[in-house]
Amino acid sequence: MRVGNLISIFLLLLSTAAFANEDGKENSTFSLRGFGTLGLARSSSDNAEFIRDLSQTAGIKGGKWSGRIDTIFGLQANWQVTPALEFVGQAVSRLHYDKSHNPELMLAFAKWEPIEEATLRFGRIGADFMMRADSRLVGYSFLPVRPSVDFFGPLFFSHLDGVDVVLGTPVGAGILRGKVFLGKTHEKAAGTPGVWDTSGSPIRGWMLDYTVGNWQLRANLAQIRYANEIKKFDIDTQLRTAGAIAAADSMIAKDKTARFLSFGVVFEDGPLQVQGMVNRIRQESKVFEDSHAAYVLAGYRIASWTPYAGISYWKSKAETYVAGSGNADLDAAYSIYMSGSRADQQTYTLGARWDVWTNAAFKLQYDAIRGKPTSKFPFATSNAQWNGRTDVLSMTMDFVF
Amino acid sequence: MARRIFVLLCLILLPSLATTARAELVVVAHPDSGIKEMTQDELINIYLGRFRRLASGMVAEPIDAPIDSPLRALFYQQLVGRSLSQVNAYWARLVFSGKTRPPESTVSPDEAMRLVAKRPAALTYLPREQVDGRVRIVFSFPH
Repeated sequence: MRVGNLISIFLLLLSTAAFANEDGKENSTFSLRGFGTLGLARSSSDNAEFIRDLSQTAGIKGGKWSGRIDTIFGLQANWQVTPALEFVGQAVSRLHYDKSHNPELMLAFAKWEPIEEATLRFGRIGADFMMRADSRLVGYSFLPVRPSVDFFGPLFFSHLDGVDVVLGTPVGAGILRGKVFLGKTHEKAAGTPGVWDTSGSPIRGWMLDYTVGNWQLRANLAQIRYANEIKKFDIDTQLRTAGAIAAADSMIAKDKTARFLSFGVVFEDGPLQVQGMVNRIRQESKVFEDSHAAYVLAGYRIASWTPYAGISYWKSKAETYVAGSGNADLDAAYSIYMSGSRADQQTYTLGARWDVWTNAAFKLQYDAIRGKPTSKFPFATSNAQWNGRTDVLSMTMDFVF
Repeated sequence: MARRIFVLLCLILLPSLATTARAELVVVAHPDSGIKEMTQDELINIYLGRFRRLASGMVAEPIDAPIDSPLRALFYQQLVGRSLSQVNAYWARLVFSGKTRPPESTVSPDEAMRLVAKRPAALTYLPREQVDGRVRIVFSFPH
């Protein structure tokens, strides 16, 4: 969506809200809020470009400081028409698949809350694929510089056009919530090679969440069926010509399904914050290897400082790819292409968050990524010298207003 | 000159901060709310936006003290042991994912009292000595 369209939407919201207020409706309120991150990061390796997630086709490398991967700015308008009806619009500028920071419409939905126990949202809504996945861009809301790359890296979906329904009720001492969502994605990701357009891919899923005292427990299952094919250079055609039909068919992504299953636990007790999550991603297409990941992060606030430490991993199920085309070069190209989705790495994180003001936080973080040379999927690009190891130093200033 | 201004500001502000820090905080509701008393867990659910249905059947309208005020800081410290930064971070996650809205902020405790006296489902928190007959105390923090 173009910037002009975004501005039109905001002006429409602003003008309508102003009219409503002049009309004297006490329950109609309009608010404009924002969030952002000014980030700088450097990755020590010359041989792979470190990225935040697979929506980024360009990253950082070679020990050069760059603000490209973590710098984000968002603006949100909320129009509470009645206690039960609200409109929300959010535009975000972040690093895109096309290497620009052009604003995009992240949220644009109507929320209807007829009773406290039920909420329905319709329009462009956050992709709630895993616990806290729909607030990944709001740096001020979480402890580290960026959500765990090992865990959230495969998620290039930030939003979907569709509907979600949340039902909640007290159970025991806590609150149980269930949610179902359904829609289509309109996003593009880093493909192998180039950009992969997943627009029009149907998404559906559910989540169960139980919050009691200092604990929050959550289970998520989401599914996407890819509507479009990935560019494959001409390997596909050559394999079919050579009679390696099974190998050519294994490269098909269109109409194949991916399922994301995850569990998360968060414990917050005053200054102490601990969170842990596990996920498993199952891919029907052989282009992507199945994977699993987990992370644990803990922090303890001392005055306005919160030092934290974390550990995470991302590992895919490595397979051997044999095309059997009779052409050694073609077989090798096929093998390289198919193993492009391999991930096998651990990340050790140390950092500190300093709450400078009650709406701004400075963070400094060190990540040691220790993986195998074959672990190329988590990075935008990598070369033959890539040994799976890099050290990432990051600093950000997160704010909300 | 700057030092004199700083000292003067300290002399003006410190007594009020100290008063707030010593104050016994109570949560008040409208006399017609149908609520006689509340638990801390219920208040946590309401003020953190988890679930706002009151035992009386009404949906609670929580009201916060002014942004960054010592009263607000003290309330959240006593309610959930969190600093205002932690509370703001919590709300940033919920607001910017479009899930729910935070309690309404007021400009002063008097304004909060006025709103609670006017709205049957409203709740707010105050030092006990500021409570008058327009509202009912439904929860007291241990002093």
